[in-house]
Amino acid sequence: MNLLHPGARVIDAVTGETLTEETVAAAEATLAAEPGGVVFLPIETTIPSIARYLAAFRLGRPVVLLDPEKDHAELIERFSATEVHPDLALLLTTSGSTGNPKLVRLSADAVRTNAEQIAEVLDITAGEVAVTTLPLFYSYGMSVLNSHLIRGATVVLERTGIMQRDFWTAVNEHGVTSMAFVPSQYEMLRRLRFDPAKYPTLRSLTQAGGRLRTDLVTDFAQRMATVGGKLYVMYGQTEAAPRMATLPPERLDEKLGSVGRALPGGTFTIEDDEVVYRGPNVMMGYADTAADLALGDVQGGALRTGDLGRVDDEGFLFITGRIKRMGKVFGVRINLDDVEKNFPVAAVAGDDKLVVFAEGVSDDEARGLRTKIAEWLGTHFSGVVVSSVEALPLLPNGKIDYRALESSL
Amino acid sequence: MSELQRLREAFRTALDLPAEAPVDDLRYQDNEKWDSLAHMSLVAAIEDEFSVMIDTDDVINMSSFDEAVRILGKYGVNVNE
Repeated sequence: MNLLHPGARVIDAVTGETLTEETVAAAEATLAAEPGGVVFLPIETTIPSIARYLAAFRLGRPVVLLDPEKDHAELIERFSATEVHPDLALLLTTSGSTGNPKLVRLSADAVRTNAEQIAEVLDITAGEVAVTTLPLFYSYGMSVLNSHLIRGATVVLERTGIMQRDFWTAVNEHGVTSMAFVPSQYEMLRRLRFDPAKYPTLRSLTQAGGRLRTDLVTDFAQRMATVGGKLYVMYGQTEAAPRMATLPPERLDEKLGSVGRALPGGTFTIEDDEVVYRGPNVMMGYADTAADLALGDVQGGALRTGDLGRVDDEGFLFITGRIKRMGKVFGVRINLDDVEKNFPVAAVAGDDKLVVFAEGVSDDEARGLRTKIAEWLGTHFSGVVVSSVEALPLLPNGKIDYRALESSL
Repeated sequence: MSELQRLREAFRTALDLPAEAPVDDLRYQDNEKWDSLAHMSLVAAIEDEFSVMIDTDDVINMSSFDEAVRILGKYGVNVNE
C-alpha cells in the first residue's frame, strides 16, 4: 500500500526538513535489511518516524504505532511475530488502563479507505495545509496525517502545542488551513479566547475523541463562521480506522448534539439500543497474542461500538451513552470497573474526566490517590477528580448507587 | 498572605505540587507536571486568585514563574513587594 500521493508535502516546522521520495526509499531500504515480521514503531512527530511508517506500508510489513514516551517491553515481547496475515497493515493500542493492552488489527484496505472517506467528507484537496496537534500513535492524529497524504496535501510537523507561542507562529508561517482537536483542547482554546481572524489561512477545525459539550460546538462553529470557516464534528473509534461519521457544518445548528452521518460506504443501525457500524473501514479484529496476528477478518465489516444511541430519519446519529461502564479522559477510553478493581473507590464518568468517590479520605490522601490513579491510567493528573464522601450511597440491593453519584457532579 | 506567597500557592495547586515545594525557578515543560493541561489550570488559578483576566498573548507567553510575575505586573499586581 502507498499512502503517499506524489504531491504530498510533510515539513518539520522547526528544522525545515521535508519528506521526500528519497527519504521514504531510504527508510524502506533500512527496514528491508532488518528481520521480517511486525515493525514496532514508537512514532515521534518527525520526518524520520513518518518515513519509517510509510516504508512499512510499502513493504507490506504490519506496523504497531506506539507512544515514544512509554516503555513497551511487555507489549513488544507479547506481539513479536513473523507469521502475520497478508492483509494486516496497521496495529494500534486501545485503552491502556489494564496493563495488557489489546491491539486493533487494521487491514491496508481499511486504512486507505478510511483516509479516502475522510478526505472526501472534509473536502481535503492538494491545497490544504494541516498542522500536527495530536500524537501520531493516537488514531485521530494518524488519520489527519493519512487523509492529507493521500490527497497530496501538506502536513506541518509541530511538536509544541496550542499553549505555546511557537505553535501559532508556525500556523501563520506555513499557511495552515485546518486543525484537529479533542474536547480538552477546545476547552483550552476557549480559555485562550481563540480568534480565527488571527490566522488568515485557517478554514476549518475538526473535532473528535469524545463528546464535545454542545455549547462549545455552537461557540466554535460561530467563531469559525465569522471568517467564513467551518467546524466539523466527527465520531470514530480506533476499531474503525478510526472515523465513522461527520456532521456536515451546514446542518450543525439544526442537528446540534448529533455526531453526524455515516461516512460514504458506511451505515449505522441500532441493535438492542447499541450503535452498530458497518463499513469497509472496520478492523479485522483484536489481537491479544502474537498468534492472533496471523488471523484473518473476524468482524465481517461490522463493529458493535459499545455506544448507546439513536439514528433519526435522515441518518443522523445521536449518542446517548455507553453500554459498558466506560469513561473518557482526554479522549482516551477507560473502563470504570477496572479502576474500581484496582483502587478502593467508586468511579463515574465526568466531562472528559474520571471522577472517583472515596470514603472518608483527607485532602492529602485524596491528592495522593489522584496521583496514583493518574499514573496507573498513564494520564495527566488533572483528568482525575477525587471526591471524599462520608459514605457511598447504596441502592436497596446493596450495590453502589451510581445515578446518585453522577447527579452529585 | 503576601502576593508572592499567593502566586507560589497558585502554582503548587495547579501543578499538583506538595506544600512548600520550591516553584520560583519553574519553567514550562522543564517540570514534567507543567504541560498544556496544567498550564490551563495555572492560568485559571492565577485569574481567580488575583481577580484578573489574562490576555491570550500573556497566557501563551507565561513560560516561567518569573514571566508570571512580570505579566501580573502588567495587570497591576505587584508580586515582588
